[in-house]
Amino acid sequence: MDRSITYKEATEDISGIITKTGWRYYAILTLMGVSGVSFLFLPWAYQIYAGQGVTGLNAPIFWGLYLVNFIYWVGIAHAGTLISAMLYITHTPWRRAIARGAETMTFFALFLVTLFIFIHMGRPWNFYWTFPYPSQREIWTSFVSPITFDVFAIGTYTTSSIVFLFFGMIPDIASLSHTTTGWRKSLYTFLSFGWRGTDRQWHLQAKACMFFAAFIMPLVVSVHSVVSWDFALSVVPGYAKTIFAPYFVTGALLSGFAGVLLMLSVMREAYPVIKKYVTAYHYDRVTVFVVVLSMIWSYLTLMEVVTGLYANTSQEIEHLKYKLAISPFSYLFALMIFSNSVMPLLYIFKKLRSSFIGRFIIPVFVLVGMWLERFLIVPNSLSRKFLPWMWHDYSPTWVEVSITAGAFFFFISMFMIFIKVFPIIAIFEVKEDIGIPMRKPH
Amino acid sequence: MDNSILGKFQYVDDLLAAAETCKQSGYAISIISPVPLVHEIEHTFGEGKNPIKYFTGVGAVTGLLFGILFTIITSLLYVLPRAGRPIIAIPPTLLISYETTILFGVLFTLLGFIVLALVPYFKESEYDVEIAIDAFGLRVHGVGEDKFSDIEKVMRENGSSDVKRIEKK
Repeated sequence: MDRSITYKEATEDISGIITKTGWRYYAILTLMGVSGVSFLFLPWAYQIYAGQGVTGLNAPIFWGLYLVNFIYWVGIAHAGTLISAMLYITHTPWRRAIARGAETMTFFALFLVTLFIFIHMGRPWNFYWTFPYPSQREIWTSFVSPITFDVFAIGTYTTSSIVFLFFGMIPDIASLSHTTTGWRKSLYTFLSFGWRGTDRQWHLQAKACMFFAAFIMPLVVSVHSVVSWDFALSVVPGYAKTIFAPYFVTGALLSGFAGVLLMLSVMREAYPVIKKYVTAYHYDRVTVFVVVLSMIWSYLTLMEVVTGLYANTSQEIEHLKYKLAISPFSYLFALMIFSNSVMPLLYIFKKLRSSFIGRFIIPVFVLVGMWLERFLIVPNSLSRKFLPWMWHDYSPTWVEVSITAGAFFFFISMFMIFIKVFPIIAIFEVKEDIGIPMRKPH
Repeated sequence: MDNSILGKFQYVDDLLAAAETCKQSGYAISIISPVPLVHEIEHTFGEGKNPIKYFTGVGAVTGLLFGILFTIITSLLYVLPRAGRPIIAIPPTLLISYETTILFGVLFTLLGFIVLALVPYFKESEYDVEIAIDAFGLRVHGVGEDKFSDIEKVMRENGSSDVKRIEKK
């Protein structure tokens, strides 16, 4: 980052993203919002009205696109907070310009995670049955169920991520309360909780952030491990794999980092001023993670297939045959390998890292590839259970496809609204990056 | 009544020099800044105490105990036999207490910050638009009427661009 940028310039640049909005922004936001409602909420309302029969879910496949999307968005939610927490602990300076955007991505991805659980439920008004509470039925939630693990793990992750995001924003919100007017000033004054920027407050804030980061690091690993146990603790061929916990965590991080890359690229195009703070150096650093994670993911994918072959049970072989040799899944598998194992290797070429291909094309491929990975695991494994009379092909209906697409529109519209209310780049952290002003520099 | 004096600085080394002089004269000081100056302040005045770790520690231990006791006690209260599995199962108990350890640790750390940093605080404060952007403030507390000019002189000599009195009842 250019060190000649002044504190004032940084404040004006980043607050300008919030306050200066062109008609194109409103047009895209309206389009995304309307698409989100039309594709996501209206079909969901129809599903609630008509019942789960409007989906392609039927015996023996009760876990379909909704759970694919649930796992996918948990994955997207992973890298945001992890990037922030891991790089905070290690005092990595390049974290500062990208951490807030990554954390925001986590926040809205977790919102969709929760939403997809509700959509999958069928009767969302009974959601409270998942919580342990005393009732006249005298039934308690079963602690040996991985679904209960999910409630605790995702609940903890959501709470911690929200605290980490909003706690880190307090100094910036306080700063904005002095540089804005009207409703924004009132909102920021309230949300800053009276932040005064004293040495004591900064000291406590730094320590608290360090503790949050230290807690979140192991939490990130535990959350997707727990999600993988929804499958791995069953006896279904294709699900019962001991390799699933690291496989899911790696896949989540890979899709999360790709999501961060794409988000940064889109933001830089929408607001060229961001190019001053998010530079080719940031792409250089983040793409290194993508390459490493892609190689680990490729190894684990290979091991998933090899362990199935090595087990050599008829049901495992049938499952692998269905996934690898029968159209259209064989093509989807090939596309998944191409997207997640081959495309990221292009980052080895330094010139490609911050090129158009590196900024947009490769992340999109990885995001598609990781969605396919979940699709090839979740409903596909249920299609070939132990006995042939239980075999069934799963075809998602327009309701499921529409809700899946609508989630992306809704995510984008929520993100766009956030950018207009809160600073997407941490102002005080960027100032730290610029350097502390000294009359006699060291 | 807390009579204090606030000086604004452009450079942090100027501010720290003025702060050191005031502190050596026995005054309580606070430094107000748009960015954290934790390392610079520790370098000048030594490492300060940060009791937030006690909140974190208590939260984590509370969460661990809560997780263990919650799963065990409620499993005994609402017995749910499942295919020969033990009523009190160790792995789920450990897993849920792992999550609650983190959850309570995070929430208690947040509570610690709220208590120790004295937020929310909605009264007038010396944190103003200049400090929100690029100025650094030094507030010297408990300055008697006769000492105002001395402190002001220290601040001006160390490069303060703006010095003002603050009277709080």
